[in-house]
Amino acid sequence: MTDDEQSSELDVDRPALADQRGVDTVYGASEDSHLLAEAAVEGAKEGERALDIGTGSGYVAGALAEAGVDVVGTDLNPAACRQVHEAGISAVRANLLDPIRADAVDLVVFNPPYLPTDPETEWGDWMQAALSGGEDGRAVVDPFLADVGRVLQDDGRAFLLVSSLTGIDDVTEFAGEQGLNSSIVAEESFPFERLVVLRLTVE
Amino acid sequence: MQEELLDIICCPLDKQDLELDVAEREDGDIVAGTLTCSECGEAYPIEDGIPNLLPPDMREDAPA
Repeated sequence: MTDDEQSSELDVDRPALADQRGVDTVYGASEDSHLLAEAAVEGAKEGERALDIGTGSGYVAGALAEAGVDVVGTDLNPAACRQVHEAGISAVRANLLDPIRADAVDLVVFNPPYLPTDPETEWGDWMQAALSGGEDGRAVVDPFLADVGRVLQDDGRAFLLVSSLTGIDDVTEFAGEQGLNSSIVAEESFPFERLVVLRLTVE
Repeated sequence: MQEELLDIICCPLDKQDLELDVAEREDGDIVAGTLTCSECGEAYPIEDGIPNLLPPDMREDAPA
């Protein structure tokens, strides 16, 4: 098999949603980013310290910075880190909250990869890392929920974007098991999914 | 990176303090250097102003 044949096969296997959203090496701001940015800015106070996990294009981090929030963007993808750093926002290459101290921030925002993906059609590049949430869509959300309470200060809040494709009730139930209260603070419906922003606080 | 970032970051392996070693500074921004864990001794590079705090086994594990 030639390289060309391989790459055309990969294109065919890409999930339709990824195609609709445009495929590049850094996930661009989309409807979900706008919804999350709006909710996060509304829930933040000037001068607070925030983390934008999986910052991608830096859209949400940029909105927070504009609102006077002291924000750091993290991403697994080095190209995303460079893009955010060039926009004048502090960037850290990190896996979720692994290198973040306990009680370090007032605010955590996260637009996670949440699309449930058939393991047979995983396509193995940075776009997959940005979009795919594994078979149940929660492969990244669950470890995040298990750790986010640790990094939040006493009155801290996390804003998490969740899709109906991931199962909103499943996410809030798992959050509850991790000692987190959750409430829906923003939502928007699309033809194939409903997006919500969950506000999470430590019980 | 700015030095104040040390207030929120730690070693991803054992959550201990990181010691900053600056190789190059530009207008107060740390462009190049190393962050070393005070406990386990693991070293994390700062390149082009961005600290790479991935655990060592993920550092090279980059999708195509």
